[in-house]
Amino acid sequence: MFSKADNSAAWAVGGALALFFLGGLITTVVPPLVDKSWGRPAPGLKPYTEIQLKGRAIYVREGCWYCHTQQTRTLVSDTKRSGWRGVDSPISTPDEFVYDKPHMFGTKRTGPDLSRVGGKYDTQWHRTHFRNPRDLVPGSVMPPFPWIVNDPVEFPALVAYIQTLGRAKDWRPDHDYEK
Amino acid sequence: MPDNNAAAATGARPAEAGPVAHPDTTAKWFLISAICYFFIVGIIAITIAAKFCWPELLGTVPYLSYGRLRPLHVNGMLFGWLLAADMGLAYYIVPRLCGVKLWSEKLGIATAALWNVIILGAVFALMGGYNQGLEYAELPLPLDILVVIAWIMFGINIFGTIMTRRYQQMYVSLWYIMGCILWTAFVYLTGNFATEFTSGVNQANLNWMYVHNAVGLIFTPIGLGIAYYFIPKSSETPLYSHRLSMVGFWALSFVYVWTGAHHMIHGPISQWLQTIAITFSLMLLIPVWAVVYNFFATMKGQWHQLRDNVPLKFLMSGVVFYLLTCFQGPMHSLRSVSAIVSKTDWIPGHAHMAVLGCFSFFAVAGIYYVAPRLWRTQLHSDALANWSFWFIIMGGLGFFVTLWLGGFWQGWQWNNPAIPFIDTVKALQPIWLVRFFSGVMIFLGIVMFAYNIMATVVGRKAYVQ
Ligand code: HEC
Repeated sequence: MFSKADNSAAWAVGGALALFFLGGLITTVVPPLVDKSWGRPAPGLKPYTEIQLKGRAIYVREGCWYCHTQQTRTLVSDTKRSGWRGVDSPISTPDEFVYDKPHMFGTKRTGPDLSRVGGKYDTQWHRTHFRNPRDLVPGSVMPPFPWIVNDPVEFPALVAYIQTLGRAKDWRPDHDYEK
Repeated sequence: MPDNNAAAATGARPAEAGPVAHPDTTAKWFLISAICYFFIVGIIAITIAAKFCWPELLGTVPYLSYGRLRPLHVNGMLFGWLLAADMGLAYYIVPRLCGVKLWSEKLGIATAALWNVIILGAVFALMGGYNQGLEYAELPLPLDILVVIAWIMFGINIFGTIMTRRYQQMYVSLWYIMGCILWTAFVYLTGNFATEFTSGVNQANLNWMYVHNAVGLIFTPIGLGIAYYFIPKSSETPLYSHRLSMVGFWALSFVYVWTGAHHMIHGPISQWLQTIAITFSLMLLIPVWAVVYNFFATMKGQWHQLRDNVPLKFLMSGVVFYLLTCFQGPMHSLRSVSAIVSKTDWIPGHAHMAVLGCFSFFAVAGIYYVAPRLWRTQLHSDALANWSFWFIIMGGLGFFVTLWLGGFWQGWQWNNPAIPFIDTVKALQPIWLVRFFSGVMIFLGIVMFAYNIMATVVGRKAYVQ
């Protein structure tokens, strides 16, 4: 029986697809049905405004996400690193990202995680930083982005987006630069 | 396991070239284009490696910034070089294993032309910043659609050839190539089209399913199909066991697709899904060992051939890298290991070992083997081929090993929040410098390889007697 199956292309096609769909459906279609938090927005989460969306598109276009992640993982060091003045940041949960399209979780941290960076720095800091990161942080390998800083539309949009990051959870104690 | 069933037993050999005269025009076009992209995208690769050492390099030109060149490097190497080379080799292998001509050379040439349109389109799209924002799925929608069309054209041609085959027995390479064509279709649709209708974690989950299976169900099956063909061919030794190769095939088709969520271990994605991904990642060791054992057993008593058989050198080092990558992968998925290596520079070290160290080695070996046969001549220079091997492998090892060491160290530092982030960046500077020079070495190896093949093609008259 096996040697017959072994020589049959129909068997190859059917078997390969059946196994593929078994695993594929269970791991992609089932999870959002089981875990409702994947699709239900967090209580404090607001949809992006037009200018924030524009800034987000710049973030996507310039490939910031190849160097920055946006997820505070379930690791103590992550909550401390995204934290602020001794307060640990909350862990990221799926309901904070419902409006993110494309998602910007990222896979590589050449630079720090940005999941809670909203409110950490003011506009002036970002202007200087984007013009040349090394002016503020010697040793940085972040590229300069003069064409964004010099654009009167793009720069405020990008900063508006960055200031939204991590805001669904109200956790930053005080001295928030943007409030 | 004694193999006593003669039909499905040991001694499986890729069929000898029969009396059929193969025109191979399609294979030639795919391979030549692939080699050109290997060289061109290699320049981009070195450029972005240099940007880590000199961040202001080309810093004021938007089109040449890191965030735009990196996707060009990844897509260019994956689709412009590796997939095109693999497809070219499939166009060579499949007709020979079936004992018939390629189903349609015309369709094949049209596919090659379309593929080049896609890659050139990708260059402009990515440098222009038309990036969809999903890893491996950066290309804008119109190009995605062209990819699907090209893939269907490729599939029709390969399946058409297999349907008209004269040899009853399907050698394992055919299984893998057929599997690749079918899985790719669905994996690609998930990653590039299904993601359009989702957002947030749901989209990320589809994205990782695609990213993982782009390697696991696109490059792995076609790469293994190629290795299964060229290892016995270039060593003139029968494959150790056909049955074992089937075990590997079916195990691969069962376990790979479950593992996507291991890209988000500790991340904002359901714990139970992470656990499934970890379990199946560990099970990957089964198909991997089935394949690697088969290759090593085939080489038993034949290792001396490695001394002066360049394709075999590439093939067997590729197998070793395959084993290493596929051992690393399941280990990374463990929660404790992931807490250290995830998101660090270890990961590019791992990824390059898979795509460069393993699958590109298989493709390079295949091209070294087929080029003289396609153009009915001899290789331009065996010595140069040998040099290209040593440059690529030494550069590659320098690249992988420094990034592992550096990445591990980096992850260790991140886990101590008392160390300011910028200090962990500065600590990696020497690592990135070594990576840059290793990259230059790999690139020189690529230049030697590309020159050798081009000289074989262009200067072939010299050899014809
Ligand atoms: C080549 C990798 C790279 C790219 C691309 C990159 N960055 Fe960075 N980024 C870094 C590094 C390294 C740091 C840490 C040193 C510093 O602050 O400059 C950093 C720091 C930052 C910070 C400060 C974070 C903090 O908590 O102090 C912000 C905000 C930021 N980047 C935003 C961006 C944006 C927006 C983009 C895209 C326009 C971008 N980065 C592109 C590497 C990168």
